[in-house]
Amino acid sequence: MATKIDLNDDSVVVIVGSGAGGGTLANELAQQGIRSVVLEAGKRFTFDDIENDEWAMFSKISWLDKRKSAGGWHGAQNHPTLPAWIVKGVGGSTVHWAGVALRLQEFEFKTKTVNGDIEGANVLDWPISRKELDPYYDKAELKMGVTGDITGMPHLPWNNDFRVLAEGARRMGYNEIASGPMAINSVDRDGRPACQQIGFCMQGCKIGAKWSTMYTEIPSAEKTGKCEVRPNSMVLKIEHDKSGKVNGVVYADVDGNIHKQKARIVCVAGNSIESPRLLLNSESSMFKDGLANSSGEVGKNYMCHTTAGVYGVMPEPVNMHRGTSVAGLVSDESHNNTSRGFVGGYMLEKLSLGLPFLSAFLVPGGTGWGRGVSQALEKYKYMSGVWICGEDLAQSQNRITLHDTDKDQYGLPAPVVSKTPHINDVNMTNHAYTTMKNIYESVGSKEIYNLPAYPASHNMGTNRMSEKASDGVVNKWGQAHDVKNLFVSDGSQFTSSGSENPTLTIVALAIRQAEYIGKQMKSGEL
Amino acid sequence: MITNWERFISNLPVRLATGRLNRRQLLKAILASTAVAGFASANAGHAVANAPVAVKLGKEQRAFMLQMSKDIYPHDGFLDDEPYLKVVDSLIKEAETDSAVAKMLNDGLIDLDQRAYKIYNSSYAEVKGYGAREALLRQIETTDFFQKVRGGLLFGIYDNKDLYAKFGYEGSSWEEGGYIDRGFSDMTWLPQDPRVKGDKK
Ligand SMILES: Cc1cc2nc3c(=O)[nH]c(=O)nc-3n(C[C@H](O)[C@H](O)[C@H](O)COP(=O)(O)OP(=O)(O)OC[C@H]3O[C@@H](n4cnc5c(N)ncnc54)[C@H](O)[C@@H]3O)c2cc1C
Ligand code: SF4
Repeated sequence: MATKIDLNDDSVVVIVGSGAGGGTLANELAQQGIRSVVLEAGKRFTFDDIENDEWAMFSKISWLDKRKSAGGWHGAQNHPTLPAWIVKGVGGSTVHWAGVALRLQEFEFKTKTVNGDIEGANVLDWPISRKELDPYYDKAELKMGVTGDITGMPHLPWNNDFRVLAEGARRMGYNEIASGPMAINSVDRDGRPACQQIGFCMQGCKIGAKWSTMYTEIPSAEKTGKCEVRPNSMVLKIEHDKSGKVNGVVYADVDGNIHKQKARIVCVAGNSIESPRLLLNSESSMFKDGLANSSGEVGKNYMCHTTAGVYGVMPEPVNMHRGTSVAGLVSDESHNNTSRGFVGGYMLEKLSLGLPFLSAFLVPGGTGWGRGVSQALEKYKYMSGVWICGEDLAQSQNRITLHDTDKDQYGLPAPVVSKTPHINDVNMTNHAYTTMKNIYESVGSKEIYNLPAYPASHNMGTNRMSEKASDGVVNKWGQAHDVKNLFVSDGSQFTSSGSENPTLTIVALAIRQAEYIGKQMKSGEL
Repeated sequence: MITNWERFISNLPVRLATGRLNRRQLLKAILASTAVAGFASANAGHAVANAPVAVKLGKEQRAFMLQMSKDIYPHDGFLDDEPYLKVVDSLIKEAETDSAVAKMLNDGLIDLDQRAYKIYNSSYAEVKGYGAREALLRQIETTDFFQKVRGGLLFGIYDNKDLYAKFGYEGSSWEEGGYIDRGFSDMTWLPQDPRVKGDKK
C-alpha cells in the first residue's frame, strides 16, 4: 500500500521535483528513515509510455508551460517560448538525459582563483573542492551504475557514430577518447539490463539500462514506506512563519484544487528555471525580493553550457541512429588552456539525432528550409554528429525573471529566461567548430554543418552556492543563507558550469545534502 | 511574427498535440479555436471579395501549393509528388472546417502570386528556375501562411514513417531488440574499435 502523508504533518521534508536532485534526495532521506513528500508537477510515466519516436516523446514528456526566451542568443528568435528542453514528469529530466556521467575538474571549482575576475562575467569559486566531493562522486557512480573504475563495469562498446569521431580525433593527435563514463549498464546490474543499443536514449530508455530516478530512486524511496510521491502537483509558493522559517508549500493538484502541505524542511529541486522562479514567486512582506534573496542573486548567473552541434557527411554510410545516442567522448580540449583565447574548456560528445529532429535543427527556426536543407537530409545515412559542451561563465545579466503581464495556467507570472553569450563563449564555440572541421575532414568529410545551440538541456547556477551570503543564495550544503530550513537540491546550486554534463554532480551533491540534513535533524539543529 | 519551434508544436499531428492536454485544457483549446473561427468567417466574405484569383481552394490552388511545397523542401528525383500532395490535401481539408485556416491559405496564395506577377509577370508556379521561386518564398518566410505550410511539410516529409527508409533512417528499434545484433558497429571503412590511451576498459 502506498504511503500517505497528512497535509498537516509538519514533521516531514517536502521536496519539490523528482528529477536528478529531488529524486535522489528523496531516496537518500528515505534510506535514513526520514519521511518526505515529493511534489512533482508532472505525471507518472511507465515503460509502456516510452516510444522510439522523437516528436511523440517530445510532446508527451516535455515541460511546455508558458516560458519566454530573451537576450542575445539565437533562441530568443528561433525558440521564443522554449528556452530549455526539460521533462515534466516523475523522474524529471533524467527520463530523457543521455547518461554522460562526468566529474567536474578541480580547476572548475575555483573559476575565480584560477582565472581571476573576468570582464562582463560574475565568476566565483565554489565553497567546496573536488577533493571534498570525490567520496560523493564515488557513491553517485555506484548508485547510478556508471561505467568505469568505481563500479568495475566496462565502458560501452563503440558504435559507428563514435568510431567516426574517435578515429578523426586520433588522426588529429587527440588521445583522451573513451566511450564513457556513462550511467548506462554495459552489463546487467542492479536489477536493470545491459544496453541493447536501441538508440533513442533522449526519448527515454525503453528497457531501463540507463539510470533514471523514474525507475530507480523513486521506487526505492517509495518501497521504504517513508516517502509519498504526489504526481500532478505543481508547487506555487513556499510559505514561512513569523520567524522567517519555512513551514510548508502551497500546490495545485491535477484538478486545479489548491492545498497546503506543511513541512519541517523544504527542498527545492525544480531545475534551474523553476527553482528560482518559485523562490521569486514566494515573496512576502518579510522577503520582499523573493525568498532567500537578500543577496539579490536568486535567478541570476544562469548557465547552460556553451554549446553547438556539428554534423559531417562522411564518404561511407554511418547510420548514426544505431545505438546509444551519446556514448563516446573526447576530452582533450576540456582543460584550462588559455592560449586558445578563452578560459575553461569544452568536451566533444558524439550525438546522434534521428531524421525528425535533424530536419528541425540543422538550420533551426523559420529559415531552415530550401534546397540546402533538403539535400543535406538526403545524406542522413552518411552523417555523423557531435555536441560541443563547454564552460559557460556566470553573468548577472543571464537570469530568470518574472514576466510583468504574462501568466501561466496557474495565474503565476511566466518565467523569462535571458541569455546572452559572453565573448569567451563565442571564442570557444569558434575554436570548437574549427576542431570539429579538422576532425571530420581527417576522416574524409567534405560537407560539414555547424548548428547553433539547441534549447538548453543543461541548466545551472540560478541559486548558486557561495562562501559569503552576499555572493550567492545557498551555502556549501545547498542550505539557503537566509532561511535555515530551506534547501536547494538541484543544478541551480552550481557556482560554475564546468565543461562536464551536470547530472553526476547534482546527484553527488544530493547524496551529500541528505547526509547533512540527517545529521542536522538528529542534532535538533533543524 | 512567429517563425519558430512553437509553430512545429502547434502543427504537431493531432495524435501528438492532444497527448499533452488534459481534458480541461483540451476543452479550453477547443472553445478558443471556435471563437477564432467564428470571427474569421464573419470577415471571410470581405477577404474573398478582394481576392483577384481564388475564392475557394480548388484544383488550381492545390497545384500551386504542390509547387510551393516542393520548393520548400525540394527532393528532385528522390521523392515523388505523393508525400507533398498528402500534406497539401490535409491543409485543404483543414480549411474546409476551419475558416481561419481557409482565409490564411487563400490570402497567402494570392499574396505570393501577386509578388510573382510583380517581378516576373507570371504566376508563382510558372516562374522559371528554383532560385527565383526560392527568392519569392524567402520574401514571405516569416508569414503565418508560409510557416503553416512548412510546418506541415516538416512532419509530412521528415517525420513520416513511410519515408524513413528512403532517407536511410530506421525509426523505432526496440521491437527488434535494438541494434546490438543488428549492425550498431558494422562500419568497415574505419578501424574497428581502435581503443586508445584514455579508454582503460
Ligand atoms: C536531451 C537531454 C540530454 C541530457 N543528457 C545529459 C547527460 O548525458 N548527462 C548529464 O549529466 N546531463 C544530461 N542532461 C541534463 C540532465 O537531464 C539535467 O541536468 C538534470 O536532470 C537536472 O536535474 P534537476 O534535478 O535539476 O532537474 P530535473 O531532473 O529536470 O527535475 C525537475 C523536476 O521538477 C519538476 N518541477 C519543476 N517545478 C516544479 C514545481 N513548481 N512543482 C512541482 N514540480 C516541479 C519538474 O516537472 C521536473 O520533473 C540532459 C538533458 C537533456 C534535455
Ligand atoms: S541505447 Fe541503451 S541506454 Fe540508450 S535507450 Fe537504448 S538501451 Fe537504453
